[in-house]
Amino acid sequence: MNTQFKKGILEMCILSIISKKDMYGFEVIDKLSSEIDVNENTVYPILRRLTSQGLFDTYVEQTNIGAPRKYYQITTLGIEKLQSYEIEWRSFLSGVFKILGGNHEN
Amino acid sequence: MKTDFLNKLKEKLVEYKASNKDIDEILSDYDQLYDDALNSGKTEEEILRVLGSPESIIYDLRDTLQTKKERNIKNKIISVMPFLSLIIFFILGFYKDLWHPGWLVFLSIPVSAILLQTRLKEGIISLMPFISVIAFLILGWGWGLWNVGWLVFLSIPIVAILLKTSIKKVPVAISPFVAVITFFILGFFYNLWDPAWLIFFIIPMIGILYSKNIVKIIIFELAFIIAIGYYLYTGYIGSSLIHGRFLMFLLPLAVGLLYGDIKFMYGDFKGPQKKKAITMFLISLIALAIFIALGVFLDGWQWAWQVFLFIPMAAILLFDRFRLTAIMPFIAVILFFSLGYFFHLFNISWLAFLLIPITAIIENA
Repeated sequence: MNTQFKKGILEMCILSIISKKDMYGFEVIDKLSSEIDVNENTVYPILRRLTSQGLFDTYVEQTNIGAPRKYYQITTLGIEKLQSYEIEWRSFLSGVFKILGGNHEN
Repeated sequence: MKTDFLNKLKEKLVEYKASNKDIDEILSDYDQLYDDALNSGKTEEEILRVLGSPESIIYDLRDTLQTKKERNIKNKIISVMPFLSLIIFFILGFYKDLWHPGWLVFLSIPVSAILLQTRLKEGIISLMPFISVIAFLILGWGWGLWNVGWLVFLSIPIVAILLKTSIKKVPVAISPFVAVITFFILGFFYNLWDPAWLIFFIIPMIGILYSKNIVKIIIFELAFIIAIGYYLYTGYIGSSLIHGRFLMFLLPLAVGLLYGDIKFMYGDFKGPQKKKAITMFLISLIALAIFIALGVFLDGWQWAWQVFLFIPMAAILLFDRFRLTAIMPFIAVILFFSLGYFFHLFNISWLAFLLIPITAIIENA
């Protein structure tokens, strides 16, 4: 698949899982790679880029295993971005399924 | 493993000229990621795959690093420099009729490129040819010191050694240059060529100090001191033994042969490295011989020093990956000086220095 295309999907997935629950870096990698086939080492750079674009906030929380952890939390800007991604993606998918003739409920 | 990974990552980030804030943040994040991955039961190998290599990390992170601005400003300064220099050159020329030393402003083009595009140490090393040539011209034009002024060019390897060699090895690495400088200064100014050549013995005398065998060090140093002392003493009293006084140098030679390590000067090198070291040594000797021959027979003291520029060039060609950018400063100095000196073209021969940024841009872009 086209790398740029894949990166866009990954960005959307990361936005989506963090919109459900604040997460720390490795948790995001773990969650994503358990669901989809993803090149794990691209996740942190995406997290960092989305944070620098203001789509995530970060905060630090103490843990019981040692060093404090950095958590990522979605911002309003992030939610808006996620929504526009979702609309785009769903309409794209429904078009694809229409062409393929599958029974995708949408 | 983790420390290795983080150190390498830091190195790459510094190389990329990332801001300190970014470096601290990224290192702390990867520190956590590494710990978390380790706690999840992954092996070190798996972790490296999950986190990626430092090189690929930098590549993926490059659009989030705060370096672009700083780099852009630097690149802008470098790009604007030729125009600025031209304007200043014309102003100095037309209004103050300072065409002659005015061309020196063009040196700001390579100098600014070197200062802004390389790290401090490399920058200083690359600037030494310029500083040397200017110092040489000032000594020559100002005081007519062409015959000893070329010694300033030895500052090129000396500075490189001081900045690049581990402190422990600096004395032995620098001793040949100290010896050459002392020898020529004593010779030219006080006509003490004869005993002054003894100064070259500091090279093996310092070199042997790196031996771990104390007895050997003491025997060696004593042999040298006795030989030198005997030589000086017989010379001083004008003894009839004057022709035999060199014989005493057989003593340190014998000690060297006894220990089987007359070769200790390049004892650190092995295999092909050793060959290169010998080649360098021979090139240096040949350069010195050519220089002295040109000086003595053609009275070429003013220009023959240029043969010494072939020594660092040979070193770069032998020990480094071949890059024209690295040897261009030396070629430029030779072109600049030779065209200026032999054809009286100093007013335009400075253009040779423009070859430095040109090759740098062509080779790196």
